[in-house]
Amino acid sequence: MKTSLAVEISHLTKEFPSPFKRKKIRAVTDVTLQIGEGEIYGLIGPNGSGKSTTMKALLGLLAPTEGECKIFRRNSVKVDSRKDVGYLPENPYFYKHLTGKETLAFYGKLCSLRGKALSARIDELLKMVDLERARHQKVGTFSKGMLQRIGLAQALIHEPRLLILDEPTAGVDPVGSREIRDLILALKEAGKTVFLCSHLLEQVQEICDRVGIIFNGKLKREGTLEELITLKDRLEVTVSGDADAQENFLTLTKELDGLDLISSGAPKTSLESLFIEMANEEERRKNA
Amino acid sequence: MIASLRRISVIAGHTFTQLVRMKVFGFLAVFAIILIAAHFFKLPHTYGPESVAEEELRMMKSSAMGAMSLFAVIFSIAATGLLIPRDVEDRTLYTILCKPVPRFDYLTGKYLGVLFTVFIALLIMDLLMSGALYLRTMGVLEERVNTATALGWSEEVKETERQEVLRQGVTWSVHAGVLAIFLKAMVSAGVALLISTFSTSTLFTIIMGFLVYFIGHYAGGAREYWLSQQLDVSPFTRFGSHLMSVVFPDFRLFNIIDGAIAGIPITASMIWKLTGISMIYAAVYLILSWFAFAKKEF
Repeated sequence: MKTSLAVEISHLTKEFPSPFKRKKIRAVTDVTLQIGEGEIYGLIGPNGSGKSTTMKALLGLLAPTEGECKIFRRNSVKVDSRKDVGYLPENPYFYKHLTGKETLAFYGKLCSLRGKALSARIDELLKMVDLERARHQKVGTFSKGMLQRIGLAQALIHEPRLLILDEPTAGVDPVGSREIRDLILALKEAGKTVFLCSHLLEQVQEICDRVGIIFNGKLKREGTLEELITLKDRLEVTVSGDADAQENFLTLTKELDGLDLISSGAPKTSLESLFIEMANEEERRKNA
Repeated sequence: MIASLRRISVIAGHTFTQLVRMKVFGFLAVFAIILIAAHFFKLPHTYGPESVAEEELRMMKSSAMGAMSLFAVIFSIAATGLLIPRDVEDRTLYTILCKPVPRFDYLTGKYLGVLFTVFIALLIMDLLMSGALYLRTMGVLEERVNTATALGWSEEVKETERQEVLRQGVTWSVHAGVLAIFLKAMVSAGVALLISTFSTSTLFTIIMGFLVYFIGHYAGGAREYWLSQQLDVSPFTRFGSHLMSVVFPDFRLFNIIDGAIAGIPITASMIWKLTGISMIYAAVYLILSWFAFAKKEF
């Protein structure tokens, strides 16, 4: 991890009052995580596991019951911390009466952009998210994929150093999803830090440097992809050779005549397999 | 981070655009129809010697200013009660509050946006009413002069009659009455803003807004009556009763609108006083709304 931290979440606990019960509902319990500048961090977990609550606490939309969240060392309950952050909520809706250009102009003006600088930024972003043709089209007529892309553009309007994306590809078709994935990778190339949560584990595996897995409000596992998906108690050997030789290899693993050892190491599972395994384990633990 | 006038104006401007594109100014067409209808409406006794020509002008003002008042109050409560919950439901609020935008700026911008829309609508309606009223006044004046000449009234009586007709025409008091309608809408919108910061439903906000509006028309009188019936009122009770007037603003203050319709002159001091009181109400409601909204979690 790089020494400069974009996000610091320390012992975050969030409780919500229950309408008819004295006991409060705990959505997040003692979550601690850090994201280095320039990283792509993915937070994964089932519905209701506390992903969005964690993100909202980081954005100051929720006040932590315990602990604190910082963005570039500024406490996230302070409005100043939002100067360096862009946020795309899950299934975003924007003002339907505004066009694509007007939407970006509105958010740009909120971030104190004006005149030519704002116009240039709008042009740049519309091109980047491939919505140039929708510049004068009302947002109310946008498809799901277009909404996600204009959402991404508004999140980037003030050139934030940190992007927080809640399910950035939710409901988007595979082509649109891949385009958004490519955009996120391009943003990483441009030095942005990205904190995202997604249900598309394959995509998280493709783009994230580090991943946190959250269940029932608790961060269960966290680390680089390499750390998480490597099965350390196994050895993977890749060989090449004809079918007979492979047969020999399988039966006589100690005699390696006629085979070249290409690589060896611990085999990897997929993030999806790991997630499902953990979910099953969590379910068993709850039922026990 | 401190409040920024620029940010507030961006949000207010956007709210205005949003409301205009929701075609709320369609009401102006209805208003124009009311005016045209009122223009052709003539009381049967206008042409007789005992005619009360001014009554016709009063009716015209009454229907126009009644429509303006209805529009302003309904619109200010409904629009204010609708806009913030809608932003929460659509999650557009998240995208705004996640920018460096203090919640006070957001609330103030929304409030001012609604007020600006009401102001522009009332301004247009005032211009339309003034135009129609001027034309009607000239028509009535001509009829009265002709009737007076035919009846052989003296010049002095004719001048008195002329002045009486003009007093019911376009005067500064009529514009002051329209300003009072705006101020009433400002206070009503303030009430709706406060309710919308802790309410979870648009319908609840709108119903409560109207409830406070109606109670506000009677609470002041009831309070004064109750206080006058008490032999010994402690300062604490008196303070409490006045505190109630913040919760339920005294809408009787705006009865000068009826004075404007009746052709009673409204002095500058009266309108300044009303403006001051309305501004205090608006500021109190805005600050209370901010206290509630600042702690709100999304």
